[in-house]
Amino acid sequence: MKKVIELNINGDTHDLLVSSNHTLLEVLREKLGLMGTKRGCDLGACGACTVLINGEAYLSCIMLAVDAVGKEIITIEGLAAGGDLHPLQNAFIDQGALQCGFCTPGMILTAEAILTEDEHPTEDVIKTKMAGNLCRCTGYKKIVEAVMSVNEKIGEEA
Amino acid sequence: MLQSNPAAKILAGGTDLLVNMKHRVEVPPVVVNIKMVSDLDYIRHDNGAVRIGALTPLKRIYQTPFIAEKLPALAKAASFVGSFHHQTMGTLAGNLCQQNRCKYYNQSQWWRSARPTCFKAGGEICHVVNKKETCYSSYCGDSAPALLVMNARVVLQGAGGSREILLGELYSGDGKAPLNFRKSEILTEIIIPAEAVPGVSSYTKYANRESIDFPIVGAAFWGSTEKKAYRVAFTAVDKGPARGHRIEALLDGEDLSQDIVAEASKLASKEAAPVKNSIFSPGHKRKMMGILFQSAVNEATRRSG
Amino acid sequence: MEKELNVVGTRVPMLDAALKAKGAALFTDDLVLPGMLHGRILRSPVPHARIRHIDTSRAEKLPGVKGVVTGRDIPDRRYGIVPKAKDEHALARDKVRYIGDDVAAVCAVDPETAEEALALITVEYEALPAVFDPLEAKKEGAPLIHEGVKNNTSFFIRKEFGDVERAFGECDEIFEHSFYSQAVNHAPLEPHGALAQFDPQNGELTVWSSTQIPYFLRRNLSNTLQLDESKVRIIKPKVGGGFGQKIDMFAKDFCAAWFAIHLGKPVKFIYEREEIFISTRQRHPMYITVRTGVKKDGTILAQKFQAFADGGAYNSTAPTMIALSCFFLMIPYRVPNLIYEGSHIYTNKPVGGAMRGHGIPQARFAVERQLDIIADRIGVDPAEIRIKNSIQAGAPHPAGFVINTCGFSDSVKKAAAAIGWKEKRGRLPLGRGVGLAGASFPSGVSNMSHISSGAVVQLGRDGAVNVLTGAADIGQGAETVIGQIVAEELGVPIEDIRVTAADTGITPLDPGTFGSGVTVRAGNAARLAAISAKQKLLEFVADKLEANAADLVAKDRKIFVKGSPDKGITLAEALKGYQYADLPMPIVGRGSWMAPASEPTTLFKEDGNFAPNYSFMTQAAEVDVDLETGKVKLLKMVTAHDCGRPINPMLVEGQLEGSVVGGMGQALYENVIVENGQVMNPSFLDYGFPTFLEMPEIEAIEVLTDDPIGPFGAKEAGEGTQLSPAPAIVNAVYDAIGIDFMELPITPEKILAALAEKTKENDKAQ
Repeated sequence: MKKVIELNINGDTHDLLVSSNHTLLEVLREKLGLMGTKRGCDLGACGACTVLINGEAYLSCIMLAVDAVGKEIITIEGLAAGGDLHPLQNAFIDQGALQCGFCTPGMILTAEAILTEDEHPTEDVIKTKMAGNLCRCTGYKKIVEAVMSVNEKIGEEA
Repeated sequence: MLQSNPAAKILAGGTDLLVNMKHRVEVPPVVVNIKMVSDLDYIRHDNGAVRIGALTPLKRIYQTPFIAEKLPALAKAASFVGSFHHQTMGTLAGNLCQQNRCKYYNQSQWWRSARPTCFKAGGEICHVVNKKETCYSSYCGDSAPALLVMNARVVLQGAGGSREILLGELYSGDGKAPLNFRKSEILTEIIIPAEAVPGVSSYTKYANRESIDFPIVGAAFWGSTEKKAYRVAFTAVDKGPARGHRIEALLDGEDLSQDIVAEASKLASKEAAPVKNSIFSPGHKRKMMGILFQSAVNEATRRSG
Repeated sequence: MEKELNVVGTRVPMLDAALKAKGAALFTDDLVLPGMLHGRILRSPVPHARIRHIDTSRAEKLPGVKGVVTGRDIPDRRYGIVPKAKDEHALARDKVRYIGDDVAAVCAVDPETAEEALALITVEYEALPAVFDPLEAKKEGAPLIHEGVKNNTSFFIRKEFGDVERAFGECDEIFEHSFYSQAVNHAPLEPHGALAQFDPQNGELTVWSSTQIPYFLRRNLSNTLQLDESKVRIIKPKVGGGFGQKIDMFAKDFCAAWFAIHLGKPVKFIYEREEIFISTRQRHPMYITVRTGVKKDGTILAQKFQAFADGGAYNSTAPTMIALSCFFLMIPYRVPNLIYEGSHIYTNKPVGGAMRGHGIPQARFAVERQLDIIADRIGVDPAEIRIKNSIQAGAPHPAGFVINTCGFSDSVKKAAAAIGWKEKRGRLPLGRGVGLAGASFPSGVSNMSHISSGAVVQLGRDGAVNVLTGAADIGQGAETVIGQIVAEELGVPIEDIRVTAADTGITPLDPGTFGSGVTVRAGNAARLAAISAKQKLLEFVADKLEANAADLVAKDRKIFVKGSPDKGITLAEALKGYQYADLPMPIVGRGSWMAPASEPTTLFKEDGNFAPNYSFMTQAAEVDVDLETGKVKLLKMVTAHDCGRPINPMLVEGQLEGSVVGGMGQALYENVIVENGQVMNPSFLDYGFPTFLEMPEIEAIEVLTDDPIGPFGAKEAGEGTQLSPAPAIVNAVYDAIGIDFMELPITPEKILAALAEKTKENDKAQ
């Protein structure tokens, strides 16, 4: 059963023809060509499909597109402001917190959700909240360091 | 809608139903998205009782200071469900009403085609025990045992009206149809009675990893050291969340000494008979029941100082 | 040993890091072509059966289905990654040999329609008896899985060095133990996939594939599709991890190509996660028996090693794997007399293939575990026994390995010191312990027929450098390392380098990413190409400056006389002058590199040196065992690591950290659980590999040895470090609870059972 829905993605509104059983992940990738959100397992067990819904981290592969109506959706493509990269993106790049890069968009968005929610989360809190994002390449260490480095800087700049 | 579609399934957070739909073990003709029903996301106080709306996200449960402080079993259980993302998307009622699990059931349609369709999925035979017309799946939700030990009640609303039952009465003990919903009913509210609030409580979870995973065993404990009344419940060991009646009978009226808790923990493995429906052995689950029970008691009583 | 290096040895972020952080890096499933169709594979639900009949008519009629193909429709051409071990067809012809075997493929307008069509294909199977245990499969009378392969043993290797029987006679103590190492899945985050497009006008096939081996894939596709290699172009997009699992051609490659050719539209196949767990590759489970003889002081005199590898239904890398498993028993310890026997045995189960370490992790587990047991029984410190038996650089090697640099003893000392060995070993309270294990790994294997790498470096008028390399970056940073090497050689910053890689239509030949040979092989080729380009420019400048080309250096975007930086010109001026002198632009340098080895050789026939160089490492672990739940927490892992000289320390650390967590997964968390040939946990949920919360404290210590063969002294990094974490952890568990575990993984259940057993024995003794 198809219908037209309006989705707000990365600040733009889109009218999309979707089936009621389309997941948000499918719509992002197939209808909008936003390939940054990845499909690692399609069952919500790896976090590669993470997007921000009203600032919170959601698994887009187990979310229906119709359920994203009326919400502010941010994908990895919407994180940078203009030409500048987001501090988390810069930290991941500079500190080697990515290797193959497949889990990276999910990691960065989850980190963003955590830092938005919490003033200065401890390292343990960061690890706990990111634990739904799997990585097979890095062993996680540099990711934690990158997120902590951004965490520590928040509030420091004027 | 639910009335005219008895086979319809309810969609809340989607973290359980959508996975099962992708596996084609649940293939509802209609999915009713109850998130459209407003005002089922709340935590209210009502004369000492706590009323939680069915669609309250798990994250909100443990981030609410009152619950974290006064109802630690519930807060911990909610914080242990899946991963942070699941706690953001998933709801308390959704967690309570999750489908039962089994290693032969929670698999893709192709995977299951290696065997005759199992009884729970619409066939005739249970592959766990190789018998017909029976289902040996297990209930694996984290929040149910925590709420059971608080004597929580749930409000069910449908075309026929509204009713309020003990949470324990929601679970049928039938692996194939684990929930006692009447036609067109949905769960709208969870009520924690006032008498549960002054107690001490905790929930411990044993799983392969510290995130994402369902419990191999979960144990919840609630106690009133004043009244010397105690309640225990387990998850992932039976067709529904299992109360520890034998343990409760032993502890009833007693002070919680090290010795009596140790003695009680020996009874834990008798409170349920886990079966070979998971990649973790029943023997190991039984062993962990006692250990988790003890941990839960220790955590609960440590908290009270 | 200190060199003045500007780019090599620095913590340069990966060249494509920004792309990846923005979500703009394109992996195979991110590629879209107009009119693209989608495919799915029908897989066997039975472990061993003859295919009697396949009826695809209902599937073909489903609206949206554009094509269906089975094994009978495709050329009867076997393929395999190792030429002499080809035993697979892209789609099963007469038989299926495991649950998950590829039977048919559907191509449709979208993946859902393709999947729906799969259920409409009816296959009539005639069940055959199946065998799931390799020790059963090799017996007389076991069901025969492949025609003509006696005892289901497709490969057997036996070699002897020295005189083992005599040497055993001279030993003070002899120990024999048996071990088991489990099936592990690589579980790369990016699913396997392929996108194929065919141009009927020029007969050219282009395939974008998530692969580690573009050139081998081209060869296999050319062969199985019966197209000339020159008409098959493989382009490697970004690859989201491989760890060895993306070595091989898979049904998705063949079928995407097949449909693209026959339907005239681009076709994409992407595997579901379940398919990756069941129908790609996994680490071979192995049964291993080791018999080792030592002198009183712990010196190893003789060793007999026997391994039975559970190969699953097909060969994949069988002969290479089993040979590697055996050969590299000879490093890092000096084993003067050695017999090894390795068998690769078919079973009706998922297929074993190359996985980070490729047969060596299993052997390493056995040997390192046993060495600890030996040390314990004869009263020698486990760290000391390793130092005592360490091979030495430059010393003659029993099998003829040429080892120019070896930091092994150093690595043992450093790892032990960093974990607090003296204070902790044997001294921590019950439940806490430390353990260590050593390892060594070849940087690619020389002695394996023809393995060479080529590179081209183009230096443009504007100073921009283009590097063409066949190297397949799968996330480890191969392109970055190659870029750094070229930048260093040309004396320019990394920002000036552009790398084009792994496109068989453009880049030079490279075997691909396996055996940890990329830095040494492709890195050396790139270095030679850079030198070749540089040489042309230097000769021109030498002429201008009236100096000797041999006295000139390129550094900081300048070319000047060694020692006199003011006697030179800028690179920009030099290039301008070069162009104005009507010399051909861009300046093109070529290089190719092959590991020094005797030719022709194969791992099976010849002795001699097997790798251009070898890395060495020791890993030390500290664990905490919960005596009630049996859960083992890896608290800390130290890796003291000799990779010669790290071209990029940040990337080397990344490899190290990743392999520690991977090794921890192998030791404690991971197991492909199979019941009657069926994988019971084919999901990220049920196959639980470590999350952030399982992460230990990880410390990396560099042992610098500066190898003469590697580019700028480099040796491999990233595979060797996955050999020793598992034994280090299991050795630490012994220190913690006094129990010797002989198999992987060590689960809480096994620990509790062993503790209970120990208590029973202690009670009996009292």
